[in-house]
Amino acid sequence: MNIGISAIEYVLGADTLSVEELEARGLLDSPAVRLREFGFCCARLSRDSSYALATAAAKKLLETTGVDPAGVEAIFYAGATPGSHAVETSNPLSTFNYPVARLQYELELTRAAAFGVSQVGCLGMMASVALARDFLLSSKSARRALCVSADVLPAGCKREMIYNVISDGACAVLVEKECGQNRILAYRQITKGYYWDSIALKNEITVAYFPTARNIVRDTLAEAQLDAANISCILPHNVSWRSWEILLGLIQMGRDQLFAENIGKMAHVIAADNWINLRDAADAGRLHPGDKLLLFTFGFGANWACMVLEH
Amino acid sequence: MSPTTMSHTILLTGATGMVGQALVPLLARRNDVSGIFALTHETGYQGPPEKIIPVRGDVTAGPELGILQAASREMLDRVTIIVHAAADTRFSAPLDAARAVNLEGTKNVLEFASHCPRLKAIVALSTVHVAGKRTGPIREGDLQHDAGFVNSYEQSKYEAELLLREGMSELPISVLRLSTVLGDSTTGEVARIVAIHHALRLYYNSLAPMIPGTPDSPVDLIAADYAAAAVGHFATDGFQAGQTFHICGGEDVLTLGPLLALTREGFLRYRPSWRKRAIEMPAIVDLPTFELFARSVEEVGDNILRSSVAIIKHFVPQLAYPKTFDDAACAGSLPAAGFLKPEALDFYPSVVRWLVETGWGEHRSRAEGAAT
Repeated sequence: MNIGISAIEYVLGADTLSVEELEARGLLDSPAVRLREFGFCCARLSRDSSYALATAAAKKLLETTGVDPAGVEAIFYAGATPGSHAVETSNPLSTFNYPVARLQYELELTRAAAFGVSQVGCLGMMASVALARDFLLSSKSARRALCVSADVLPAGCKREMIYNVISDGACAVLVEKECGQNRILAYRQITKGYYWDSIALKNEITVAYFPTARNIVRDTLAEAQLDAANISCILPHNVSWRSWEILLGLIQMGRDQLFAENIGKMAHVIAADNWINLRDAADAGRLHPGDKLLLFTFGFGANWACMVLEH
Repeated sequence: MSPTTMSHTILLTGATGMVGQALVPLLARRNDVSGIFALTHETGYQGPPEKIIPVRGDVTAGPELGILQAASREMLDRVTIIVHAAADTRFSAPLDAARAVNLEGTKNVLEFASHCPRLKAIVALSTVHVAGKRTGPIREGDLQHDAGFVNSYEQSKYEAELLLREGMSELPISVLRLSTVLGDSTTGEVARIVAIHHALRLYYNSLAPMIPGTPDSPVDLIAADYAAAAVGHFATDGFQAGQTFHICGGEDVLTLGPLLALTREGFLRYRPSWRKRAIEMPAIVDLPTFELFARSVEEVGDNILRSSVAIIKHFVPQLAYPKTFDDAACAGSLPAAGFLKPEALDFYPSVVRWLVETGWGEHRSRAEGAAT
């Protein structure tokens, strides 16, 4: 059964700050000049909540596609931080107030089963899309699922993590049965719990990142019965260009295969990068029907994920 | 000429090094050795009591080797064999520092040797990696090349060998090129933790991301006891002036891919709890990718990561220049003298076991206790 991605919409934080401005505000660990060398120009910061961004992205998707909200059978809501999964008030019990339920109500997704996807860091959206695929495969009647990711770092929070610049944003992805676009060919996820303490094991994570990334890309391609040369475009998570240069060497792929246009101007939008890049690469005419696309991402936990699509 | 029919008095430089430590008791056990001057710059060196005469000195301290005058006179009069094992084996040393010990030190030893009236043999320890960035088969007689070097150790030892070759017309010199000395072939014990052991520890601790080379890159390793036995042989019964010998794995060479798999197998076997960490084997990558990673870490990494990369970046690039070392002359001499070369596939796991069980030598007594 063909299951694919039929639509993507996203919103970014409204404020654009250059890396120099971030440095001047004390929001970076590394010098701005270094982060520019690594491919980052600016970050997008939001004064709105993650929920507000999630709502905006999901509404935009429903409006542009014209999909009947009642025709969505599931909603997966991903967020990397605990703050993205709570609609808190002064009452401590408000931690049971879930944004996915609120979104289901506000968007009138009356038939959608709601799920939160958390604790997988920046993998949240890719894991959601994979779970949506599995949901659709397991249900005879269900036809489409909506995946939403949203993250906004608290005001004043550092914008650099392991030499990457972080942006606020949200993304909505529609996953459908019998979809002719962006058919999911393969998906793999690796979790290595040894690295759960992302602060204490920062160096070990940096080191583990590369060989594990190489292995999961290799195994996902094998699952899709493809090799590196078959991939028309890599849709990355927007970590540093330098990091991608190294990884390209490991996975034996060329710079021309990487869609890196958004790394500089958007930075790393937590879980949304791959899907924003899929949308923008398509809009830019970079993708053609039948193209094989490779999406790779990493999330604290530590988690690695890779998906292969046929455009 | 072989100095076999006489009673030897040996001057050994570098007595506390990995080979030196294994060599001292081996030479001391020989009936034809009457005394060993063990030259070391370390204070408090004792060595095995029998036949050993610890001498404080330094090969960099001029042709007198920094030895007190009275002791120097006695040594000059008595020494018949010099085994020059002292070296700065740091791969990361600045070239000037490496030359000060490895080149100037050798020059000083040769100058000292020229004043020893009873001298019959000088055996200079070198490295197979004087071949630097050459690739393919390397013969024992090969030396000069313009392929360049991976680190200052290789270059300074190469320059020292040029000096030794020159000196062969005046003095009875033999050069012994050792490959990477890993540990004892039976117990796995490592007398001195060096770069390769540090690299294995980085892998164990999830701090080794990638290694340049290919899965087929040869990794030539030898056991410390074999290295010491070979050096002892070529310094005494098997001495051949003007010859260079490769003391190496030769045809018995492991390759990088299987070596990493063997390492992982050892970690899992000797520390079963290591399995749950699910640490990946370092990726084998091309040299530019490795260098880009190393440069990135130097630019932004914190101290732990920088130190980790610093440990490996000065020697693992050698794997990107695949070569094999021909040891025909050595192999022709040692078995005839009764020395059998331990196979790397047999002793490598023993060394991994020793490293894991002793915490890379930090808990030596625990392993010794377990062994008894």
